[in-house]
Amino acid sequence: MTTTIVLQQAINGVVLGSLYVLVALGLTLIYGVLVQINFAHADFVTLGAFAAYFFMHLVGGGYILSIAVAFVVGAALGWLINAAIFTPLRHKGNELLPLIATIGVSVMMQNLMLAWFGPIPYAFETQYSSEVIRFAGIFVSWQSVIIIIVSILTIALLYAFMKFTFLGKALRAVAQDRETAGLMGINPNYLIMLTFVIASALAGMGGAMLAPVLVLTPFAGTSVIVKAFAIVIIGGFGNVEGTILAGLIVGLIESYTTQFLDPGLIDIVVFALLLVMLAIKPTGLISERREENV
Amino acid sequence: MKALRTLFVSAAAVGLLVIGSAAQAQDKTIKIGALFPMSGPGSYFGAQDKQGVELALEQLNKAGVNGYKFVVQYEDSSCSPLPATQAAKRLIEQFKPDVIIGEECSDATLAVMPVVEQAKVPLLNAGSSSIKVTEPGNPWTFRIMPNEVMQGINLAENASKRIKAETAVLLFENTNAGIGNAQVFKENFTKHGGKVLAEIGFGRDVNDFTAIATRVAGLGKVDVIPTYTLEGQGLKITQALAQAGVTKGGGGNAIQIGTIWLPFGFEAKAGKAALGYIRIVQFDPTDTRDVAKNFATAFKAKYNADPTHLNAHAYDQVMLIADVVKRGGKDAQSIRDGLAATKGYSGVTGSVEFDKTNQNTKMDTIHYMETKPDMSWTSLKWN
Repeated sequence: MTTTIVLQQAINGVVLGSLYVLVALGLTLIYGVLVQINFAHADFVTLGAFAAYFFMHLVGGGYILSIAVAFVVGAALGWLINAAIFTPLRHKGNELLPLIATIGVSVMMQNLMLAWFGPIPYAFETQYSSEVIRFAGIFVSWQSVIIIIVSILTIALLYAFMKFTFLGKALRAVAQDRETAGLMGINPNYLIMLTFVIASALAGMGGAMLAPVLVLTPFAGTSVIVKAFAIVIIGGFGNVEGTILAGLIVGLIESYTTQFLDPGLIDIVVFALLLVMLAIKPTGLISERREENV
Repeated sequence: MKALRTLFVSAAAVGLLVIGSAAQAQDKTIKIGALFPMSGPGSYFGAQDKQGVELALEQLNKAGVNGYKFVVQYEDSSCSPLPATQAAKRLIEQFKPDVIIGEECSDATLAVMPVVEQAKVPLLNAGSSSIKVTEPGNPWTFRIMPNEVMQGINLAENASKRIKAETAVLLFENTNAGIGNAQVFKENFTKHGGKVLAEIGFGRDVNDFTAIATRVAGLGKVDVIPTYTLEGQGLKITQALAQAGVTKGGGGNAIQIGTIWLPFGFEAKAGKAALGYIRIVQFDPTDTRDVAKNFATAFKAKYNADPTHLNAHAYDQVMLIADVVKRGGKDAQSIRDGLAATKGYSGVTGSVEFDKTNQNTKMDTIHYMETKPDMSWTSLKWN
């Protein structure tokens, strides 16, 4: 086993982990603020991927711009679905209703996309996916470089937004105590909407980043969402830092399991880790009090 | 007045006779249940199968066969055992088909076989390669396509003798068909003196194949990479192997080879990464037989696209049933018996003649194609 292969698999793992982080961040944000699991998150990822695809193929736009388009489409759809479905259900006072509604939205979106886009896999090629940088036996596609850069930028901007802006601070206040935040003049409904918009925008953008990597069909997002849920649990539900760390760990586990064991064992290793975490450290890799998570 | 009443009664009697005859004519239908994957990663199978079936129905129902018209009911079997079993039960209980066609994925077909056997409805399969579909055999299940052993023996022989391959790495999805195809290749490639450097299986949820490609790149000199997976993952594997510099498409020396898994159009989607990919397809568009040429022309006229082998084998399934009906088939039992008695039938994908396990024995259904530098393909005429 050469050092080159070990290093190559580390790069592969970090790239894959970065993609998982982009998807898992939205899930963890929504849980952190609303204490709600969004089962439709995968379909926002898929829609973002298709938005980027059609922006490139119908409008003739470039790939980098298509990431922004997917971000906006995700945000718009997040706003629409939250306003039309989740908010009215949340006002009924039963926490189970919006949770079940996310399953309904997921099935509806998958079948709408199946009707619109058809079942045959799309080939999402960008000018960056076939261009490969090679040095000292290592290869990295420009697509992978873009994935890492966009992921780092997204995480940094999200961190800055949460820590240094008024809206970010208000969002954390709602996550800590929704009622008290309301008494302080913060409109929780507005911030819940903002959370959905940000999470959906991240999912859309994640879709555009994933599209050249995964098999683009109306069910594309579902293939990564199970891993994203595992990452959110391993990292600590609602914990952004934990999610980032867990995403990278799962990416590296996938690469090294493929190299040293067998790719057929990836799920066994990842979900064994999840079970171990639930058993010995259910608060996740980076444990904080829940109110400090977001 | 009496004459008027007689005339009215006579007219009513004639009317009833006409209605009765029409009802009888309407009853003369052959009901075909279609179990195709319409959702999930194998749904491209269903979409293309349906095109082939609809073309066959359009042609057959213009005049009918022996006074029979054909109707098809589609059910989504999802390329997966549980939904396939449920879909088969739904078809049998509600639609009461005379014959069923499908599934594509071996795991789904294997799950459906006991259900059709119990209901005594023949199942005509054209897309599942697992040897278990016909070995030890099931009196109600017939397969047109060459099974994994027939394909594997042929592919291993060609890899050794024509490609002159000495080493191979097997990439396959962890399903009955994936594992079975890979094992048959391994056994036969080894018999020819070849060496298998690694057998790498993976689940259908794997998206990124860079790690697998990296592992293959670290194995030294690899001549051929037999790959057994659905189209979506196939695309990603081909691109990852090229990125890792393993295959011809990425400047390496290895050649990807495979059996009947990928539709035409794959090479255009995979791009230059697919350069040199050699694979078995079930339909050769350059086939000069009238049946193949007429099919290609009719398909192009109806869909404004060239047919894939999935279109072709779905078309063949319905046309073979029509041939059985022409020979006297009219219900489940007689269609089963008619299928078993098929001799020298010439379909779009090739000839059909079943052995005692109901496996088509004709090897002219195996066609090889190779991806050329301009991303088109060429027929290799190896069989």
